[in-house]
Amino acid sequence: MVQTHSVKKMTFLQKVNGFIQKSPARMAIIIATLLYGITVAMVPTALNLSAITSIIMLTLLLSFASAGQTIVLIAGGMDFTVGAVMSAGAIITTAIMNGQDGNFVKTLVVVLLSSAGIGLLNGICTVKIGLPAMIVTMAISNVVNRLTYVLTDGSPLGYASPAFIKSVTSKILGFVPSLALYGLVIFPIVFYLLYFSRLGKQVYLVGNNDNAARLNGINTSKVKILTYVISATLSGFTGMLGAGYMQSAKCQMFDGYAFNSLIAVIVGGTALSGGVGTYTGSIAGALLMVVLTNMLTALSLSQPVRNIAMGIVMISLLILYNREKSVRQ
Amino acid sequence: MTLAIKDAFQRFRRTPAFTGFSLFVLALILNAAIQGPAKFLSPRSFNTLLATNLPFLIVVMGQSILLLVGTLDISIGIQLALVNVVVVMTIQEWGVSFWTGCLFGITASLLISVLLWVSVSIFRLPALLASFSMTYIIKGINVLIMPVPQGKIERVFYRTYDRLLFGVVPFSLLIFIFVLLIWYYFKRTRFGTNIYAVGADRRNAFAAGISPKWVTLQAFLIKGLFVGIAGICLTLLTASGNPIQAEDYGIKSLSACIIGGLGFGGWGSMACGLFGGSFLIIIQNTVYYFFTMLYKLIPGFSVTTYWHNFVSDVIIFLGLLMTIVTAKGQREALRQGIAQQLKQKKEDFGGKNGSNA
Repeated sequence: MVQTHSVKKMTFLQKVNGFIQKSPARMAIIIATLLYGITVAMVPTALNLSAITSIIMLTLLLSFASAGQTIVLIAGGMDFTVGAVMSAGAIITTAIMNGQDGNFVKTLVVVLLSSAGIGLLNGICTVKIGLPAMIVTMAISNVVNRLTYVLTDGSPLGYASPAFIKSVTSKILGFVPSLALYGLVIFPIVFYLLYFSRLGKQVYLVGNNDNAARLNGINTSKVKILTYVISATLSGFTGMLGAGYMQSAKCQMFDGYAFNSLIAVIVGGTALSGGVGTYTGSIAGALLMVVLTNMLTALSLSQPVRNIAMGIVMISLLILYNREKSVRQ
Repeated sequence: MTLAIKDAFQRFRRTPAFTGFSLFVLALILNAAIQGPAKFLSPRSFNTLLATNLPFLIVVMGQSILLLVGTLDISIGIQLALVNVVVVMTIQEWGVSFWTGCLFGITASLLISVLLWVSVSIFRLPALLASFSMTYIIKGINVLIMPVPQGKIERVFYRTYDRLLFGVVPFSLLIFIFVLLIWYYFKRTRFGTNIYAVGADRRNAFAAGISPKWVTLQAFLIKGLFVGIAGICLTLLTASGNPIQAEDYGIKSLSACIIGGLGFGGWGSMACGLFGGSFLIIIQNTVYYFFTMLYKLIPGFSVTTYWHNFVSDVIIFLGLLMTIVTAKGQREALRQGIAQQLKQKKEDFGGKNGSNA
């Protein structure tokens, strides 16, 4: 009797494991829905339009920020400059716009060029010089953050322009933030890059097996450097949108996005070792992270308890998703 | 005689520690030049420098052990704050003596290390992500125990920590030597070799009859002990408690190890971490004196402290880049050595063949 029970349990666990490994994106969405359900059951007031709007808003921002991280991770790298580049992008945006309309194109060009420059630096340091991606991108992100402090003297400069703020925060159908319209541009670009372009295929190959890819005539260094450039450019643009959402910009305001985007991407089924992963998964992972934060806020736990809960949930998610192979396998 | 020195230098040049050592010497010279050699070499300024940076240096040692065994810990900085909080609060709330408080602090640090080992080695989570999640948990625990910075330590203890024994030997140097001796002891046991085997390749180590889990646990426990000692030093240094200090030590200690020439697993030695850590400390010191010099030289010159941070972070980044120049030479030397050995073997083999014929 006991035996059959345990056998049944094993198969159920195996089923769950198999399902997670096969479709991490769907699993992330299921967990997110469950978490939101629990939140609503415990705090009924959490179910309102403005809460849903803010969840969509933050999910979109995090999924834009995760886009680059996904591509970099698939190619076998890691990018910790996401947060710093976003903050820098936001600061550049508010400084150039200075609360007036009509500077959008100028801002866009400056933000994209400067973040692409940082991405290029990341790429050269990791690929050409051969430093560990984690360490060198952290060092660069420190330098970028310090630079923003030096340039702004630590206090916020200017505001985003009213029209730009409107284009990010006004609501469609009463609850969808108009940031989603930017998504209509960014999502197709990222999907095209990853799944339909030549570069996308090369990214997967390089991440899967660097040597094999090189022997097949792929310029692996170029591909890897390009992933960093794409990641930084996307982060810079996300920072710009973030400035529209927050209206003004502070130094290090988006610092948390570096690790949050990484966790979202991992929860979405992308492997740290590279070669495996989807952007759909990352979007689902971003939703999960945002819903989790929203839940901890809605339950009105004290800050330390919220931190502990966040840590425990993240570790449990990692246990569900991303385990390295056993020594005996 | 000179030949022997030259030979020893050549041998040292091939060790992994050479990278960090050259950077360290460079920083040292720079610091001495800017601060003035007499001032820099005075026991008093050395005492201040070591006492304020000893916690960081010990943390770097802990991080080096983890890197050697092929894992890492980003939460190591906030663990320092945990030890600090536990020591101060047990003394304040439970009325225990300072030494018992220290024991509690070290126990807390060991417990966290074991928890982290469970997630890294038993659940096989990527160390970076697991320890990052742990940062949240530890920060929460810290603030739960001590909501706001508070508490104090008996005067005797923190005065002793700052003291110059006989006017020349800083007390913190004794603590540092004590920690070095602990490491020296463990290095000489079987663990000292196993750590390299497991760090280089866990599978091969397992096949050779070494238990990677056990070796990793040992590494985590030693790291826990070191973090405990570092936390006590931090408590003595600040003479009070702060639940959210030292968080950036995690990333900084990692950079220090990499600058010193440690790789992710199986490559490098404790000396690498120590030189890398010292490099960071001295560079920060140098940058501080550099700006004070500028204030003196140029009347009306004034910049915010943001500039200090910016310049030292740029130098840290350049230090990382410098590693590659030295490491490249080192790898070249290693490859040449291997090639030479292989050639020799081939010749031996050829010789034998010849004699047979």
